[in-house]
Amino acid sequence: MFLLSILRVIKFSLQDFVRNIWLSVITIIIIVLALISVNLLLVVKVLGTATVNAVKEKVDISLYLKSESEESRILALRSKISSLGSVQEVIYISKQEAIDSFREKHKNNPEILAALLELGRNPLSPSLVIKPKDINNYEELIVSLNKIDDQLIESRNFDDHRAMLAKVNDITEKASRVGLAISLLFILITILVVYNTVRVAIYTHKREIGIMKLVGASNWFIRAPYLISGIIYGFLGVVAIIIILYPLLSFIQPYLEVFFYGFKVNILEYYNSNFFTIFGLEFLAVTLVNFLASLVAVGKYSKV
Amino acid sequence: MIKLENISKIYPPDIKALYKVNLHIKPGEFVSIVGRSGTGKTTLVKLLIGEERPSQGKIIVGGWDITNIGQAEVPVLRRQIGVVFQDFKLLNRKTLFENVCFALQVCGEPQSKINGIVPQVLKIVGLENKMHRYPSTVSGGEQQRAVIARALVHRPKILLADEPTGNLDSINADEIIEILQKINKFGTTVLLVTHNRDVVNKLRKRVITIENGLIVGDQAVGKYIL
Ligand SMILES: Nc1ncnc2c1ncn2[C@@H]1O[C@H](COP(=O)(O)OP(=O)(O)OP(=O)(O)O)[C@@H](O)[C@H]1O
Ligand SMILES: [Mg+2]
Repeated sequence: MFLLSILRVIKFSLQDFVRNIWLSVITIIIIVLALISVNLLLVVKVLGTATVNAVKEKVDISLYLKSESEESRILALRSKISSLGSVQEVIYISKQEAIDSFREKHKNNPEILAALLELGRNPLSPSLVIKPKDINNYEELIVSLNKIDDQLIESRNFDDHRAMLAKVNDITEKASRVGLAISLLFILITILVVYNTVRVAIYTHKREIGIMKLVGASNWFIRAPYLISGIIYGFLGVVAIIIILYPLLSFIQPYLEVFFYGFKVNILEYYNSNFFTIFGLEFLAVTLVNFLASLVAVGKYSKV
Repeated sequence: MIKLENISKIYPPDIKALYKVNLHIKPGEFVSIVGRSGTGKTTLVKLLIGEERPSQGKIIVGGWDITNIGQAEVPVLRRQIGVVFQDFKLLNRKTLFENVCFALQVCGEPQSKINGIVPQVLKIVGLENKMHRYPSTVSGGEQQRAVIARALVHRPKILLADEPTGNLDSINADEIIEILQKINKFGTTVLLVTHNRDVVNKLRKRVITIENGLIVGDQAVGKYIL
């Protein structure tokens, strides 16, 4: 009997959806706009993080060591640097590893490989790659690295990428803030539109509601169709956003690849691998918003 | 079946729609309530179906004290009382049959039960041949009969009819009253609110007269005295 009632309630709310079809369509368009802005916000966040990570990779400090250094002394130096507070990790790249990765990097360039062969020996020096724990303590790290005065050290590479990093962070943050403001605005508009739609729906069903009350329909039965309409709007809105978003992402993906040349930035893949999380959460959020808006409207207008 | 004890209903600011009304209606009675316009007849009906709460006094329906009935219990009460109003509240997009079905559907009744009851009540009101028509294609009297049929779907112990003949000519009105009498013969308590002098005089049943919110007459075999 309960299931039967649920089915009838769903049937009523679908009838209501069709009867006010234009209002329904407008409601869904507004929901889609809200979802577009939320998803844009997400894309900005993802790209921002990707950029920051890309820059961070360049932030490592390399200490180049003398070519003939003994391995045991290098390892001693390595553990000494490791013990510094602001160091996350120290990676030792031996002469052999350096030449291997050099060869790998230039495997498509026979001239360089030929020159290397001609040289007859390994011209590269071993190095220590130091990853800082926190970008913000970069300066401190450099100071302490400079204090280490080991004869092993041939040269130090302290390129400061912090300015760039700060800029990227700044842009991402600003874009996120604008995106957040737009999203909030659209969510607010969504609430108002859904509220109004439900209000109109109730108004057009005044007679039905009056009869339902007169013949003893329970309160939840009278109200449920309008709450379910809210859920239907949310569901269709999310379906629409999926249909709209994917072509859009496929369209911008090649441009992203060009822009982030050399780094793995794949927004399409990000959406694919987080499909259920992203759209599930968006559905839940929209449904909740609609449900609450409907609840208020129903509470206010269904007293006939 | 219905018991009003010292019932007053005062609408703000100070409209005494009903004032200290005492009334006892026994099961199976057919009672007519008459009175001038604005004397509190509809208010009485609204109190009985839980649409309004009394300002004072006590109401008991079928042994149930509904004086301060809660919102959640109102539907339960309404399934025990059939109500018919002057304006036929039918849905124009549904046939008469569907209109009657609607009352049971929205109360969560299974389709099998609906299929059993609806033809029965439509037969009681004599609409078995027109039940698949839309309200706009039948007469006012037939629309009102469909409303009565709808009021019967829960097999109520009480039927309240607030000026059911108000919008009808005398022939149609007589038919409606006949149907109400038929329903009363099945054992349902009928409360008829009316302005129609002929109807009341022909009925030869109990008549309660209300004036300015007060009961001024209560006769076992009454006449329309105003
Ligand atoms: N919701 C309300 N708020 C304020 N006053 C009301 C309300 N409903 C009814 N009244 C007043 O209460 C009095 C009784 O009204 P009621 O509808 O019961 O009269 P009635 O006897 O049914 O009249 P009629 O024969 O015209 O239908 C009237 O003076 C009316 O104006
Ligand atoms: Mg009235």
